[in-house]
Amino acid sequence: MSHSEKPRAPLILNGFGMNVVGHVSAGLWRHPRDQAHRYTTLGYWVELARLLERGGFDGMFLADAVGHLDVYGGNADASLRTAAQSPVNDPLLLVSAMAAATEHLGFGITVSTTYEQPYLLARKFTTLDHLTNGRIAWNVVTSMLESAARNLGLGQQINHDERYDRAQEFLEVTYKLWEGSWEEGAVVRDRERGVYTDPSKVHPIRHKGRWYDVPGAHLSEPSPQRTPVIYQAGTSPRGKLFAALNAEVIFLGGTNPAAIRRSVEAIRAQAVALGRAPDAIKFITAVSVVAAATDAQAEEKYRDYLSYTSTEAALALFSAWTGVDWSAYPADHPLEYIETNASRSILAALSQVDAGRRWTVGGIAEYIGVGGIHPTLVGGPAKVADALEALAEGAGVDGFNLAYAISPGSFEEFVEFVVPELRARGRIKPRAYKPVTLRERLLGDGLARLRDDHPGAAFRSLSQLSPALSFEPTPVP
Amino acid sequence: MPEHRPLILNAFTMSAASHLNYGLWRHPDDSSWRYNELDHWTGLARTLEEGGFDSLFIADALGQLDTHGGSADASLRTGTQSPLSDPLLLVSAMAAVTQHLGIGVTVSTTYEHPYLLARKFTTLDHLSNGRIGWNIVTSQLDSAARNLGLEAQLPHDERYERADEFLDVVYKLWERSWDDDAVLRDRERGIYTEPSRVHPIGHSGRWYTVPGAHLSEPSPQRTPVLFQAGGSPRGQRFAGQHAELVFVAGANAAGIRRSVDAIKAFAVEAGRAPDAIRFVAPVAVVTGADDAAAEAKLAEYRRHYDAEGAIVHYSASTGIDFSAHDLDAPIRHQETNANRSLLSNLTNDPTRATPWTLREALAPAQGFGRHKTLVGGPVAVADALQLWLRDTGTDGINLSAVVNPGSFTEFAQFVVPELRRRGLLAPRPATPRTLRERLFGHAGLPADHPGHRHAVARTAPRHP
Repeated sequence: MSHSEKPRAPLILNGFGMNVVGHVSAGLWRHPRDQAHRYTTLGYWVELARLLERGGFDGMFLADAVGHLDVYGGNADASLRTAAQSPVNDPLLLVSAMAAATEHLGFGITVSTTYEQPYLLARKFTTLDHLTNGRIAWNVVTSMLESAARNLGLGQQINHDERYDRAQEFLEVTYKLWEGSWEEGAVVRDRERGVYTDPSKVHPIRHKGRWYDVPGAHLSEPSPQRTPVIYQAGTSPRGKLFAALNAEVIFLGGTNPAAIRRSVEAIRAQAVALGRAPDAIKFITAVSVVAAATDAQAEEKYRDYLSYTSTEAALALFSAWTGVDWSAYPADHPLEYIETNASRSILAALSQVDAGRRWTVGGIAEYIGVGGIHPTLVGGPAKVADALEALAEGAGVDGFNLAYAISPGSFEEFVEFVVPELRARGRIKPRAYKPVTLRERLLGDGLARLRDDHPGAAFRSLSQLSPALSFEPTPVP
Repeated sequence: MPEHRPLILNAFTMSAASHLNYGLWRHPDDSSWRYNELDHWTGLARTLEEGGFDSLFIADALGQLDTHGGSADASLRTGTQSPLSDPLLLVSAMAAVTQHLGIGVTVSTTYEHPYLLARKFTTLDHLSNGRIGWNIVTSQLDSAARNLGLEAQLPHDERYERADEFLDVVYKLWERSWDDDAVLRDRERGIYTEPSRVHPIGHSGRWYTVPGAHLSEPSPQRTPVLFQAGGSPRGQRFAGQHAELVFVAGANAAGIRRSVDAIKAFAVEAGRAPDAIRFVAPVAVVTGADDAAAEAKLAEYRRHYDAEGAIVHYSASTGIDFSAHDLDAPIRHQETNANRSLLSNLTNDPTRATPWTLREALAPAQGFGRHKTLVGGPVAVADALQLWLRDTGTDGINLSAVVNPGSFTEFAQFVVPELRRRGLLAPRPATPRTLRERLFGHAGLPADHPGHRHAVARTAPRHP
């Protein structure tokens, strides 16, 4: 089954991380080969970026959170003790050092719309798109932690759906700044006439909306991609609508391929209903891989990793993801569907989707230990490649966010053992002769800019800049 | 200076095609227009480190310069500080190719939240091994305010009151929230951070409510070196309270000395030592192998100088539209909400019988731009620089490029050896030090700094 008759498209491969010690693998920082505690040093990140580029990865995807994980036990003690996404440093500030050490690797960085101003966020991504020569993507999130809201001037979290309404207007403002404010050819840099920019080609966006008033022009000149590649990971009904409208790459978590496929199909249908082409959006899911030269060695390695997992760390993560304090429940307690304001989709995914398994608190802690709530694939080159292909096929996704058990060890093992096998099967995109933008790498030749069917493209037309064009939230089909 | 301290050598620039070198982007030797390319910045950082500079300081603004003629057209056309990129995002690439160079970046307190700004500087302080400085500004452009959720900018004095509270919040996050021994990284016991040693700051004030603990573990300097450039009386009071390094603007030595003395008086009033703050003023240097070579270079640079760019920048900085102002008419004082000190330097100069004219302000007799220009071979520049430091009472310079990186490389090539020969520059330390150690000789905030009391709280004996 490893050599199918029909030609297969290369898989999208992102290294998945966060500017922290422990990302999704709970407690693994204690493993003697884990280097993630070097996250405060530039050497760690530069080496990781070089490794991923050398190994044929398309990009690095960095998550973020701007609050402590304090649902478990009602405080941050467990997450601090176990380094479960805490402490957490800023991911955007890592990019220029990694970009200077690479030429092909893309960088997808998570930034919340809730605590940023669109006028300044637009400048940040334009700056990074320039510095990376068009290799930047923005993972748009709306923030889910109450602990962030409390420290950032909000009494409590803004209501879930309202966050997305506001995020939609936020994106509209940034599309106007990126796509419409500076015409092609505005920067002439004419030394003879003394004209750097032709002011007649720079336009104030005159945005006046419910949440944001931005009358002025973009501060920065247009970058290679103008709009960064838009990543999104919302899986609630409102989040899916937001993604169907805006995203170019959608990251869907989950444990069950059939359920992921249903989400992919639903979002794609929604995108088509919104006027986008069926192939306008790429889908990825997350996976952890424990690889070695042989299946037996991989199994041994996996058992070794398991011995370092921490129940406390796992439940601190799971409590933050679900908004439920699991410290109050005994290990054999079955998971229940509880409506909370935080990532309601995770509970739905677990308790509804994987109907074949009766999840308990202890079971989930054990399951999360290596690779978080995502599937963990263990084996030698052929077995892992088979499993990745089967997962992509079954889930209907175009690629993966590869989470680590230990860093950079998990990535090194993947590059050493799995990448050659995937390459032989034609599943690793060959490196372009000359570096290309991330959008071209992910979506295809000639697509350095937003596709014409993307809603942001409408703002290239000056007539769309004023008056404001608004996307009214469409009822979820 | 109470004791002999080496002079501070900062390079001064902005992530834009033209900073204070109006029109010079047209000169074939200027590569400022490559400000969007990473190797422009990594090359500059290496040049400065090899050339013996203490640090690179990158200015910023968050709006277009649109006071002149009521629109941004002239600033766009002349490339004056527009277009503009985000300077904070350049730092990690430059830190990766250097070991000694400090990097100071301007960030406004008006449009940032202290909880997130604290994390940004902690992140960069980690990544640079303690080489980061923060130039605290409160933002002066109405054009920024309008695009960032304010109808107009906050009133001048209120911006500083808010900035005071902003600093109180970040001091608590940086100095108090995490104990020195909070991060144990104890693999055996499975304790990365000991939670009892991480403290919520419980801040509740007029502008900010920040109950929680800092998101990041402590970095080498904890608090970045604090730069400030406020020149109004309120701004000087703020600098006297908080700043460790102050940028004093102006081309006139007596005016700069008055600012230095005023800020020192505010520092003393705030309970700090008179020499707690070190001062630098912007200077442009046109140099070469000898005086004649430097003079020839200056003449050539002046042909590329663009007075319109200078007027655009003055208009934005002062909040007054000078587009129709007679170049030879005196500049009169006006109350504005923008940069008050720049204006009062010109309208209220006790060393002169008449106020400055625009032509004088834009084209000081010795050179161009809004700051002092020193021209000559190594000896002449070193002599003039020593005189300038003495007359202004400053501790060093912000070297502003006429052409980038040529002005920096030439300073390093011709002037630095002469300064070293005179014992004015510190030899590079054998092992890299933090920026604070490099500039002040101490690692943490000193005892008389307002952030220090939070460090005292952190290091107080624990109750069982």
